[in-house]
Amino acid sequence: MLFRKRTREMLLVAFFLTPALLVFFVYRIVPLLWNLALSFAFWSPGGSYEFAGLEHYTEMFVYDDVFRTSFVNTLIYMASMPLAIVVALFVALLVNARIRGRNVYRTIVFLSYPMMPVAVGIIWQWLYNEKVGLINYVLQSAGVIDTPIAFLNSTALALPSVIVVGMWQILGFFMIILLTGLQSIPQSLYEAAAIDGAGPTKSFFRITLPLLRPSLFLCFVIGVISSFTSFDLVYVMTEGGPAHATELLITYIYKTAFGLSEFDYAGALTVVMFTLFLSITLILNRFSGGEAGKVDGAN
Amino acid sequence: MQRVPRWSIHLALVVICFFMLIPFYWVLKTSVAGENIFAYPPSLVPKDPHPFYFIDVWYDIPFARFFLNSVVVVTIVIVLNLVFNAMAGYALTRDFAGKKAILFVLLSCMMIPFQATIIPAYLITAKMGLLNTYLGLALPEVSHIICILVFKANFEAVPKSLVEAARIDGVPEWKIVYKIMLPLSKPAIATNIVFSFVWTWNHFLWPLIIISDQDMQTLPLGLSYFLSYFEDTTGALYAFCVMVLAPTVFVFLMVQRQFIQGLTSGSTKG
Repeated sequence: MLFRKRTREMLLVAFFLTPALLVFFVYRIVPLLWNLALSFAFWSPGGSYEFAGLEHYTEMFVYDDVFRTSFVNTLIYMASMPLAIVVALFVALLVNARIRGRNVYRTIVFLSYPMMPVAVGIIWQWLYNEKVGLINYVLQSAGVIDTPIAFLNSTALALPSVIVVGMWQILGFFMIILLTGLQSIPQSLYEAAAIDGAGPTKSFFRITLPLLRPSLFLCFVIGVISSFTSFDLVYVMTEGGPAHATELLITYIYKTAFGLSEFDYAGALTVVMFTLFLSITLILNRFSGGEAGKVDGAN
Repeated sequence: MQRVPRWSIHLALVVICFFMLIPFYWVLKTSVAGENIFAYPPSLVPKDPHPFYFIDVWYDIPFARFFLNSVVVVTIVIVLNLVFNAMAGYALTRDFAGKKAILFVLLSCMMIPFQATIIPAYLITAKMGLLNTYLGLALPEVSHIICILVFKANFEAVPKSLVEAARIDGVPEWKIVYKIMLPLSKPAIATNIVFSFVWTWNHFLWPLIIISDQDMQTLPLGLSYFLSYFEDTTGALYAFCVMVLAPTVFVFLMVQRQFIQGLTSGSTKG
């Protein structure tokens, strides 16, 4: 009797879990292993697999300049995220104050986050336009610059320009995460600190920042993810150009696989990208006390 | 924060909001501009606004078809997500052998970004004969691990006594989920819908890879093709952007609270 009950329970659980697990098996686990296999093979669509050893990896690390550029660009993208987090923290502190209309402010700052990146990229490309773009117009009218700047066609400025858009879009998300963190800090701590004679600056650095650490790390992890996944913005705004100045690992992988049909090499690139991503997230996870890695990377 | 005068907080926030909103204003302005959009200096407000660019979009490209494709894919993804995630979430509230292993697998899968799977995912989809199909577009997204965990947490908050009572009365398991658990899990359902909607509606890379047939293009794909054919030479491009963003803005403003909670609960509570 007991046995039958347990068997039925197992069957039920298995039945309920199967669809979801199947999806993850087919679209997460199998691809991961397949990439690994591709990275050690010579293979093109329709052909057969031949063992390649470390050939692709040697090519990548020794000869491939574009790989190096896209690798560095991805790291630059990632390293600029703390700037967005600082701004978001500032905004979060502001909208956490007891002021009228704070919900309206929150809504407006968050609004850009769920918008379609392809459309966002097109809009910003228009703002950056060399001849009639709003940004050049304002800078020229204010006398900051004399001649218009071709933001997205300049090898020096293209990457920062794209990163600014990425920050603009993700700022509201960071703000909400930090706001949630701020609201979970007990008010009594601030009262106690005030009684002990601590000023606002002191209580910010002694109470707010330390207690906000998990939220700050979570933001950074999300920033890291976005540096590995910001395909849409780059593709629409610059296509990785000029001269690969905005090439990220993900755009390079896409081009290699679906532009050049070099699936095997693109597989090796993916393995490197994934390894880098995983190491960074795991290190961050260590630092933050284990909570920060729990973010779905599918965005 | 107390010593800072209120007006300065308002001032700072108004400036920030200005920067957050100006791109939206600018695209809206361009999309209804009556003047030459390449005239310098650009006019800050549209002169004799007209809706012609929107009409262009409607007639020059199969906008309705793109819209329909997006809606169909999003619908499939939302429905399957609700079903699969609720099922898996419920299973994970039970005790069974190997539960820890399953949770470990799920949490590990969360560390695999979709972007790191595109090449094999494409090859698998091709092998299944699902290139250029709605199902092919939807399949990789029909279950999200975060949403499973949100369901699990929500189900665990349902009083055990309620479930026990139903079980003693001989109510079958699927009915317990459907009649007792789900009605008590509205926040989790909202999270699932918002998540699925935003991700699938905006998703560009996957359709770009597996769709080559113009009739099957979703909105982001249609928008990027429009960009590559016409570049930025016509105001219709910006009208197209507005038409694509409008549904998200609309849904966002309608169910703001659920929206923000939905998008953040996954990452902060998951």
